[in-house]
Amino acid sequence: MIRHRCRLFIASVAILACGLPADAQEREPETRAEALRREREEKATRLTPPDPNRLERALLDLENGRLFERLLSPAEGLYPKIGTITAGSGLAVGPGYRASHRLGGAVDFSAFAMGSIKKYWIADARVQLPRLLNERLGLDAHVQTYDFQEELFFGIGPDSARADLVHYGLRNTIVGGSAAVRPTSWLTISGGADFLNPRIESATDDEDYISTRFDDVTAPGLADQPDFMRYQSAVDVNYREPRGNPRAGGRYLFTYQRFDDLDDNTYSFQRAEVDLQQYVPLLRDRRILALRGLVSVSEADDGARIPFFYQRTLGGPDDLRGFHRLRFRDNHALLLQAEYRWEIFTAVDGAIFYDTGKVASRVEDLNLRDLESDYGFGFRFGNANSVFLRIEAAFGSRGGTHFVFRFNNVF
Amino acid sequence: MSSRAVRSVWSPALAGLLAIGIAASPALSPRAATPRFFPDDPIQVDDDRALDASGAKEIQGSNGYDFVEHTFLDPGDTRDIRAVNVNTIDEVPDSSWFTNRIGRREMTVAEIVRGPNQRETVDFDDWPIVQEKSSGITPGYRVRDPAGQLYQVKFDPPAHPGMATAAEVIGAAIYHALGYNVVPGYIIDVDPARIVIAPTATTVDLSGQKRSMTRTDVEKLLARGARLPNGKYRATLSQFAPGAGLGYFKYYGTRPDDPNDIHPHEHRRELRASRVFAAWLNHDDSRGINSLDMLEGPKGGPGFIRHYMFDFGSIMGSGSTKAQTLRAGNEYILEWGPSLKTLATLGLYVRPWIRTRYWEEAKAVGRFEGDAFDPVAWRPEYPNPAFENMRADDAFWGARLVARFSDEAIRAIVAKGQYTEPGAADHIATTLIKRRDKVLRAWLTGVNPLTEPQLSGDGILTFRNEAVAARVSSPASRYAFAWSRFDNATGSTSGTVETSTTEARATAPSAVLNGAQFVSVAVKTSHPDYPGWEAPVTFTFRRVSNGWQPVGIDRTVPPRNR
Repeated sequence: MIRHRCRLFIASVAILACGLPADAQEREPETRAEALRREREEKATRLTPPDPNRLERALLDLENGRLFERLLSPAEGLYPKIGTITAGSGLAVGPGYRASHRLGGAVDFSAFAMGSIKKYWIADARVQLPRLLNERLGLDAHVQTYDFQEELFFGIGPDSARADLVHYGLRNTIVGGSAAVRPTSWLTISGGADFLNPRIESATDDEDYISTRFDDVTAPGLADQPDFMRYQSAVDVNYREPRGNPRAGGRYLFTYQRFDDLDDNTYSFQRAEVDLQQYVPLLRDRRILALRGLVSVSEADDGARIPFFYQRTLGGPDDLRGFHRLRFRDNHALLLQAEYRWEIFTAVDGAIFYDTGKVASRVEDLNLRDLESDYGFGFRFGNANSVFLRIEAAFGSRGGTHFVFRFNNVF
Repeated sequence: MSSRAVRSVWSPALAGLLAIGIAASPALSPRAATPRFFPDDPIQVDDDRALDASGAKEIQGSNGYDFVEHTFLDPGDTRDIRAVNVNTIDEVPDSSWFTNRIGRREMTVAEIVRGPNQRETVDFDDWPIVQEKSSGITPGYRVRDPAGQLYQVKFDPPAHPGMATAAEVIGAAIYHALGYNVVPGYIIDVDPARIVIAPTATTVDLSGQKRSMTRTDVEKLLARGARLPNGKYRATLSQFAPGAGLGYFKYYGTRPDDPNDIHPHEHRRELRASRVFAAWLNHDDSRGINSLDMLEGPKGGPGFIRHYMFDFGSIMGSGSTKAQTLRAGNEYILEWGPSLKTLATLGLYVRPWIRTRYWEEAKAVGRFEGDAFDPVAWRPEYPNPAFENMRADDAFWGARLVARFSDEAIRAIVAKGQYTEPGAADHIATTLIKRRDKVLRAWLTGVNPLTEPQLSGDGILTFRNEAVAARVSSPASRYAFAWSRFDNATGSTSGTVETSTTEARATAPSAVLNGAQFVSVAVKTSHPDYPGWEAPVTFTFRRVSNGWQPVGIDRTVPPRNR
């Protein structure tokens, strides 16, 4: 019995001893290695899996899904297309689809449709063979249809009045093809033909409809819009670097277009344009002087007129930025732009700019007298190779300050 | 040797404060009331492989989040404290992070150049492609050798043949010699005609879908690589590290799923001081995303995590896919001060680095220079918490390692890059030497630069002045010593005796040594150019059978600039 009690006592002590922290846990560590091991053993009792926070998870998903690439530079498959359709359309979104290197690797296909908050819409599909002859020859076939519901019209000529502002809708369908030859990386010679089916549509507000203030005499083509064939050729000398966000080099684009009225030649005309851009790098490309000069000359066939909706226009976020879009229109146009751009930090450039230009009904009036002009400043967000957001404020016109919010560079 | 008592350099109060400081030093401290020095101090190995870490999960890195977090959120513990993983003599013990190599022993030039590689060359032809490279901006793919070992192939950018590949192998050799874990890598010339695609090879298209890899995919990759005159493509062949990938380590905190990872990374000496190496090499891409954690151990069995430095394609003048930007190494991607100045002045304020001139005679060099280089002002792409925490003692430790790279070794390492353009190798080597010398001048002199204390059995103290040894300083004019008995149980000192010498050698007073188990000596260094050296470094010795063993080195460090 005594022996049994002794065993019980010993067993109890042993159990208690096991239940208590071991002696080794109580005493101070005797070596550095022991002290460190104890810390590790203590951590081992409270391990948890890595737990990225919500923002980290979201950004990780975006990167793994390559969503940014798909949004900004889609190359394959279905993607959401975001941007603007044309100046004044407002933000537009829609589905896009691209397939490249099909049919043995030669053929690319792309299509998109977009609708904007101002009810503009566009649909576009094209098949391209851009890599023929070791990428020196490219072919393109395309179909495009759009409806711009709220285009602005102030009348024709440099003296058009802001108070005469009216609206019109322009619906068009384009079917055509083109070919481009690239003898070198900086030279492209191209030509193409398109069938055009422009139609002037009712504006959204009948009181501001173009026909309430203008007629076919003051707005040629308002009464009747024929179908057209457009033939065009261009020589493009482009050695800008980098192409998407130029900091050096230049681009010299020469374009000739011929518009044939397919009904009775009432609106047949031809147009020649020279668009010169030069980028002067300063301070190792951290400052840039960007210059642009554009001359556009159009000439109607004998007895014909140039329809108002195909006249060259000035005004808007890409040319005279201090003016309403489409503020001036006529047969001829002259535009001069200068920008000083400076890098604020890697992703943001600042810019101050000056735009000036005019439209004219006669070529001899394309001079430097009575130019319309504006100035302003802005910011460009992007990277070394592209600008994905441009925010600007432009002043100087009699129409007050104009703010520009675009998803591209100005030139 | 001359030795004499000095009058008032040392006061008992200062000696007492020093003793308290030593006792309170957190170096590898068990964070409890324990003896200042354990019997196994100073430890040479921190056994951080002891506990099973096989339950750890992969940490995926987001480039965007990494930028946002480090630019705007200032993560990690920012206290100005001594590195927590150094041993009691202020050195980094070997661990799964770091293996002392050039800092602990002589390495031959051949050994340094060989780096982590086990072979001189590899016969990689006909190794099939098994996968397109899935991360990073450099074009490449993965191949598998007949033994099943995986390798990654990465190409040079078309405009800079030989640039990124040379940077990769040079960086790997240097980081390996320094003591970091890096993967073996070789420069190879890929013959397109001999590329083989495994039937199971995959790629991920831009829609995120995995699909079979085709010859067209390979041609697209090659189109983004530099083609050599002989029709081949220069590339690096990097061997995959052994074990299972667990993503990357952050430069702050610890892995929550690794029991062995107890030292906050922003307070690890080898991570803080990697700022020194990054500055030397212009490794502006030194960030967590470019690191690697691998789980080693038998499959299904216990394991530990080894931590790697990874991806050296963006060092020196190489920006991986282009030459380094002008900003690289000079400014963070987003740095408010200069940005606002530039904004407010419409660009009339010009950042100084914009005017820096580079030697641009060889495409393989990119942009790399040493004249304008300022090691203290050097910056990575965005803030790194460990770099931000680097103190003068961390920088001193790093600079000591840099000092071990001789001109001969640097030139031999650069030769490994196989530069072919005239003058390229010489420019790289000369620039590395120039930058090394600037690193040494900046950081070997930031603290009292005494190391390697020895106290002989007959009481002769010797030590090394690292700044003088590296020839970045003239000899000190005087050394002042405060000798004390040290009580290891309480951390207190007693019986202080002061002496001074004009050379790096002194005789310990017998009154201090006799009967003592521990003695400490606080040494002030006088130099007209470096008044900061008056801040003492304290050596502590333990009596052993054949004399005295150095067990403690404690530096007085100026407050950190952050």
